[in-house]
Amino acid sequence: MILLGEFALWVALPVSIWGIVLAFVGGHRKRGDLVLSAERSVYAVFFLLCLTSLGIILAFVGEHYEYRYVWGYSSRELETYFKVTGLWAGQRGSLVFWVLLLALFSSIAVFQNRRRNREFMPSVVGVLLTITAFFLGVLLFADVNPFERLPFTPANGQGLNPQLQNYWMTIHPPTLYLGFTSFSVPFAFGVAALITGKTDSRWLVVTRRWTLLSWFFLTNGIIFGMRWAYEELGWGGYWFWDPVENASLLPWLTATAFLHSVMIQEHRGMLKMWNLSLVSLTFLLTIFATFLTRSGLIESVHSFAQNTRIAYIFLAFLGVATMACLLLILWRKDDLRAERTIESFLSRESAFLMNNLILLGSAFAVLWGTLFPLISEGVAGTKVAVGPAFFNRVNIPIGLVLLALTGIGPVIAWRKATRRNLERNFVSPLLMAAAVTAGLMIAGMRGFYALATFAICGFVLTILVNEFWKGTRARARIEGEGPGRAFLHLIARNRRRWGGYIVHVGIVLMFAGFAGASFHTEIDRSVEPGDQIRAASPYGHEYVLTYQGLSSSRTPNMWQWVALMDVSRDGRRLGTITAEQRIYSTADQPIREVGIRSTPLEDVYVILAGVEDFEGAVLNESSAQGAVFQVLVRPLVGWIWYGGLVITLGSLIALWPGAGGPARRKVQATPASARLAKV
Amino acid sequence: MKNSRFYIGLVGVAMVVTFLIWTGFDKAMVYYLTPVELMAKVAEDDTFHDIGVKVSGRVVKGSYQAEGAFEHYFSVVDLAREDASFRVEYRDILPDTFSDETEVVIEGRFRRDGVFEATTVLTKCGSRYEAMPEEMAG
Amino acid sequence: MMIVLGAVLVAAAVVLYVVQPVFSGEKAPLVSLDEEFTEAEARRHLSLVALRDVEYDFATGKIDERDYRRLRDELAREALDALQEVRRSREQAEGRPPPAQDTAADDLEQEIAAYRAALRAGTLCDRCGSANAEVALFCAACGRRLESERGEEAAPAARS
Repeated sequence: MILLGEFALWVALPVSIWGIVLAFVGGHRKRGDLVLSAERSVYAVFFLLCLTSLGIILAFVGEHYEYRYVWGYSSRELETYFKVTGLWAGQRGSLVFWVLLLALFSSIAVFQNRRRNREFMPSVVGVLLTITAFFLGVLLFADVNPFERLPFTPANGQGLNPQLQNYWMTIHPPTLYLGFTSFSVPFAFGVAALITGKTDSRWLVVTRRWTLLSWFFLTNGIIFGMRWAYEELGWGGYWFWDPVENASLLPWLTATAFLHSVMIQEHRGMLKMWNLSLVSLTFLLTIFATFLTRSGLIESVHSFAQNTRIAYIFLAFLGVATMACLLLILWRKDDLRAERTIESFLSRESAFLMNNLILLGSAFAVLWGTLFPLISEGVAGTKVAVGPAFFNRVNIPIGLVLLALTGIGPVIAWRKATRRNLERNFVSPLLMAAAVTAGLMIAGMRGFYALATFAICGFVLTILVNEFWKGTRARARIEGEGPGRAFLHLIARNRRRWGGYIVHVGIVLMFAGFAGASFHTEIDRSVEPGDQIRAASPYGHEYVLTYQGLSSSRTPNMWQWVALMDVSRDGRRLGTITAEQRIYSTADQPIREVGIRSTPLEDVYVILAGVEDFEGAVLNESSAQGAVFQVLVRPLVGWIWYGGLVITLGSLIALWPGAGGPARRKVQATPASARLAKV
Repeated sequence: MKNSRFYIGLVGVAMVVTFLIWTGFDKAMVYYLTPVELMAKVAEDDTFHDIGVKVSGRVVKGSYQAEGAFEHYFSVVDLAREDASFRVEYRDILPDTFSDETEVVIEGRFRRDGVFEATTVLTKCGSRYEAMPEEMAG
Repeated sequence: MMIVLGAVLVAAAVVLYVVQPVFSGEKAPLVSLDEEFTEAEARRHLSLVALRDVEYDFATGKIDERDYRRLRDELAREALDALQEVRRSREQAEGRPPPAQDTAADDLEQEIAAYRAALRAGTLCDRCGSANAEVALFCAACGRRLESERGEEAAPAARS
């Protein structure tokens, strides 16, 4: 069965190349039979890749350590759950997984459009299969074949990196990959629109839900990654501006820009070229992100004698794809003229454009900072890196402007905002922002960025709540519905708009959470049982952590030392926190598992930094209970996760199929809006 | 022309972003060197003792000493040349994956007394995990 | 041996499945079969969505009367143009001359009003886009059954 999987991988490449040739030839010569054959190869490739993935999973579960990949990422002691997820634990498997997802989405796109949008399909199939074939080629010819065998059969594998043995880590990469791969579909339709010359609104309508879906996965993937870093990496942060994190942020930024600029094209017939460029750019960035996460190029120029062949292959592909996109767009330049022009700086068009520009600016800054070590080495011969300080300095102001735009965009008028429009919509939010600032300053908060963030959060929330309130009230009045029912109907009748606003609310919550990082406190202490660690929280509370002692235990997979802390706040007992150190049987050094006690306003984050006497603790000697702790108080961290949930909810509402969303067949026959018009 | 004010806005945004990137670089850039390069830089320019640098190298086997969980001393050597090495002093919690012979990236200041005062220590997970697993550097 | 057999079977099945259309002459269509999604349809759909948003913005006081009228007329004109094109192409395809009523649809206000009434009652035909009377059960233009958008919405619509 494993051999069959390997065989399927080899068969998949010629099948996809066959499909590329037939799709383009068939599209050019108008030969329906060739196109049908190409579409069937999409399904066939998906089937073959399912076999391949199944083969890899079976090799993991069946403990076939003669395969280098299985040997490197598994061991007999590993739980079966982690063996199955071994498919995406390392570079080789995750490339297979990537292309499997791509084939899945390609198949769905082909199936959905078996009767619709037929003139696009030859190009769409051709583009999707080209991407597939590229990844298959990489897998087979760039020394990353997951089925590569070792010259002998080791008795056991090396084991999975303990830090990857975490729930968030098993769902974070697949979610991110779902986002990366699903964006290939809108890209393929964009290219098809360019090739066929039908660059009008249609490809936007066709791909709208795909784009949203991809954005949904990307957002969740990034948040899961932050969650993992927070719980597992044990330094109390969630974002480090690491090249790999930046890589996943880049396509998110441009995809967000695309989601918004699409609306300008829909409403005002502008920005056609811009939208096609954005969809191409986002796609290229998803490939770039995959490349960066999977080649280790940036982080490892100095230290790893890495597999550089894969880096050159990826760079070549990126270069060719970029050129192709540019040429296609320039070729169709004349068809992409705007139907109207922007009439005023104070208008929704211009607010959206501003949002686009700022998102791109931020993406550019992140890209520049990430690649700077390479650029400086290439140009000046000296490698210069930029740390988190750079990214924070650039992105915090940009982020604040974007945050303000999440409030301004929804309410500013199309075409030209009048004085009355501005007064009506912005006076009370501005008052709210001023009130928030004043209140926080009286409460003793200082720090420009934190105050600005909370003020803007207040501003945006007021606008959004006001929107919901106005809409509900109007609907309740016209329909004679109760407020609850009116509210639900309001959202259900225009899911994209209201789902989008809910996403904005989530963004506000997340920013408030980020701002909390200005008020971190940290205490390091070495203690014996009975000793207390006192930590002050920025709200004026005092946490007292009483160390109870260590207990140790062993499982087949690891030894663990668990330290127990009793927590009380302002004299009232809250419960216990456990922090651990583990030594996995496949690793030599201890791994820390942090203990987190989460409240809506702040987290108490306990790290067991050191155990004074590991052996003594195992024997439960009372003299060997000394331990070193790091206690962090992290205000508002929880809001980031709540905000993430709200964003998920909002994007699900916008995505939900049916008449209220961006329906395909029905003509948005939503009586709600028509009735509102009577007001 | 009606559009002119709008274009002024666009150019304004572009300029602000450029300005932020530019000044951000001034404040946050650090040299990323190997121990050999660091030695050479320090030899030719004394001010290199005062600025922050980032160095990647390998921990010398058996050189690690600790006093409690918050004071660590070890030596770092160039990956390619054994003769370029220096002592490192670090006063915080070491990453989980730190051990003798791991590859590390340290950030901090190379003092005039020849000791590197590190503010951050990042480990690379060595050959054990083949290529560096995703996101381990954080 | 089993493995070789399995591999041969898989490869043969895949190749046969993929290559079969070329030899049997089975064809994939190259023009859309669901006629609703032509370029004109997409444009009309977008114009109608935009129109709805403008109506909402006006109702909640985000745009003033003058701008509202201008935007609405612009979008409604687009929607109607697109609709006419849709009908024309459809009738061309069916080999019939365009009926007179379409060419005479000059009264924009009246058309919009009819549209809005149909939108409200959920009697906008989702095949041909014709606006039907509020009580219609079938589309007057193409005979399609008009039930998809009613049901739950029918009751409050009748009340208002």
